[in-house]
Amino acid sequence: MGKISRWIDDRIDLKTLRAQLIDRKVPWGLTWWHTLGSATLAVFSVQVVTGVILAMYYSPSPDHAYDSIRYIEHTVLSGSLLRGLHHWSASAMVVLVLAHMIRVFSLGAYKYPREMSWLFGVALLFIVLGFSFTGYLLPWDQKAYWATQVGTNIAGSAPLIGGVMVKLLRGGAQLGAGTLTRFFALHVLLLPLLLIGFVLLHISLIIRQGMAPRPMALEIDAPARTSDPEYPAYYHDRYAKAKVADTRFWPDMIGKDVAVATVVILVLFLMAWFIGAGLEPPADPSDTSYVPLPEWYFLPFFQLLKLVPGKYESVVTVGVPLALVLILVLLPFLDRRSKRSLFHRPVAGVALVGTLLGSGLLLWGALRGDRENVRLASAGVPLTALERAGRALVKSQNCSACHVIGDQKPDSAGDVNDAPDLNDVGFRHTSGWLHSFIELPTRFHPDSKMPSYGLPKLSHMEMEQVARYLATLRGTHAMSEPPQIVDTFPEPVKKPEPQ
Amino acid sequence: MSLGETKPASSSEDDALFGRRRFLRWVSGIGSAIMGVLVGIPVVRSFVSPVFVKPVVASWIKVAEDTALLDIGVPVRVDFVKEQNDAWIESIAQNSVWLYSDDGEKFKAYNAQCTHLGCGYFYDKDTKTFACPCHRGHFDVKTGAVLSGPPPRGLDEMQVEIRDGAVFVRVKQFRLGIPERVEA
Repeated sequence: MGKISRWIDDRIDLKTLRAQLIDRKVPWGLTWWHTLGSATLAVFSVQVVTGVILAMYYSPSPDHAYDSIRYIEHTVLSGSLLRGLHHWSASAMVVLVLAHMIRVFSLGAYKYPREMSWLFGVALLFIVLGFSFTGYLLPWDQKAYWATQVGTNIAGSAPLIGGVMVKLLRGGAQLGAGTLTRFFALHVLLLPLLLIGFVLLHISLIIRQGMAPRPMALEIDAPARTSDPEYPAYYHDRYAKAKVADTRFWPDMIGKDVAVATVVILVLFLMAWFIGAGLEPPADPSDTSYVPLPEWYFLPFFQLLKLVPGKYESVVTVGVPLALVLILVLLPFLDRRSKRSLFHRPVAGVALVGTLLGSGLLLWGALRGDRENVRLASAGVPLTALERAGRALVKSQNCSACHVIGDQKPDSAGDVNDAPDLNDVGFRHTSGWLHSFIELPTRFHPDSKMPSYGLPKLSHMEMEQVARYLATLRGTHAMSEPPQIVDTFPEPVKKPEPQ
Repeated sequence: MSLGETKPASSSEDDALFGRRRFLRWVSGIGSAIMGVLVGIPVVRSFVSPVFVKPVVASWIKVAEDTALLDIGVPVRVDFVKEQNDAWIESIAQNSVWLYSDDGEKFKAYNAQCTHLGCGYFYDKDTKTFACPCHRGHFDVKTGAVLSGPPPRGLDEMQVEIRDGAVFVRVKQFRLGIPERVEA
């Protein structure tokens, strides 16, 4: 062992590297909040390894994507757990990145000399959101399809470039095969390369500049602004003094980092194990009753769209994200006051709390409105062509001569009429049962007064149409109420035993 | 860290008009540009290629066999199958349009996508309007006009023709989320 490390050391000078990377001193008083960045990195590593294996089974084609996900869920060993980990880690990435940003913002760590670290961080935030948007489509289930439909149309509503944008994103005029391969390529090739590149830049700056100290270490006797000519000298002097406490990167900081990362990944494992990633029915472009919801961290934005009238649509769809990018990018250049603690920056404090509260409120509104939406969507289920044809047959065969259907009452009200009311027949019987009954009622009730509508009166297709239509009649029962089927089929006639 | 710390002394080679170093700097610059262009052209062109895909020609499609089967005064969603080219996949996909008629003779046909962001809308029996569940847009059933909510324009109406009692619709797709009606 010693021999090998000496051999390597002779060639690449590991000792210096170790002193510079591992044993370097860090400022005193680094908190648990300082572990959020490294926790994000740990979760990203989980995404890389789980993603590589998922890509081995996944097929990015509308014909096969959904089935390949089902295969992962049901056949691949621990496949469901693997996909669950990838799914929950994706959420965790967003949460951790945002939490990390809030920490950096609150401690004024984006100020001199770490403006570039902040900018790389902002780029990383949007790369992570890009991962989330592209990854959401890949399972090609209902949620994936419709959320992406909405998401790409948002890009399409941008003034001037909208038309080009939406086609570029979708790889065609409509969402389809071209979109899936495009999103897949971005998700597994371009975005990982970009992310790793920016992470390396981000980390190399931390190594070069050291970790940001506590705000109080840089506030005493500080020049008023970081742009003052004497500020760099002040900063370097104070920063050197902040490192006197002999706190070291290893194991003082790394120990905390690993502890937090372990807890985070344990939680993700439990969520993957107990909740899993979920998979809705396969994408159905013709299903107009589906209410798509984006991933929960996009919900505040989604909710905002409900609140603005059409005229200002593009203000929200384009303006809000653009303003967000601009504010984040310009922040370190606009805010040059040397105060770092949030308690000494009332405007920043109010802005942060306001943003968090506002997004929280919108998120809450979206989650609440959810339930209403689902109820709304089931309000009117249109008849299919088959069912409408059945309805026409019910009229032409004059079923209402005996039965109550809709507002039509039998003309022969005076007769002893025990024909059942058909207005809720679909609540009691399936279309299969109805078909058989219409064909030969006496099979079910030997003394039924209803004539047989089997051949040659109605063809099988026609009987099926009538049965399908009748099955849609549910009276006053809500669509959400499960039907109470009382189909009883006659005992099959026993064939005589062969002798 | 002893390597490369001092800047090499400048020599006559650095400044000579046709010197070796000057030449090599030019070679690096021009070479990078040539490589960028050679690889960049196919990369950029193939990336933006979908923007130049020709729009699908609108086609007349029979959406209902018989007007007698359709409701009057209540909108009806009719499904139909349509051959479509999705990039390299030719498939037969289900599509739908909403039909509305006051008298059973003249029909209006609306594209089944909400003009806001493309969700499917439905007929809300309580309010007698078309309602989109995504962001709560409401449309008038008779005219397709926006009654409330975020949609930037009314529903997209398509041409209808009745031939021998069957309903034909000229099915088109439009860009969504913008006030103007532009074919996609």
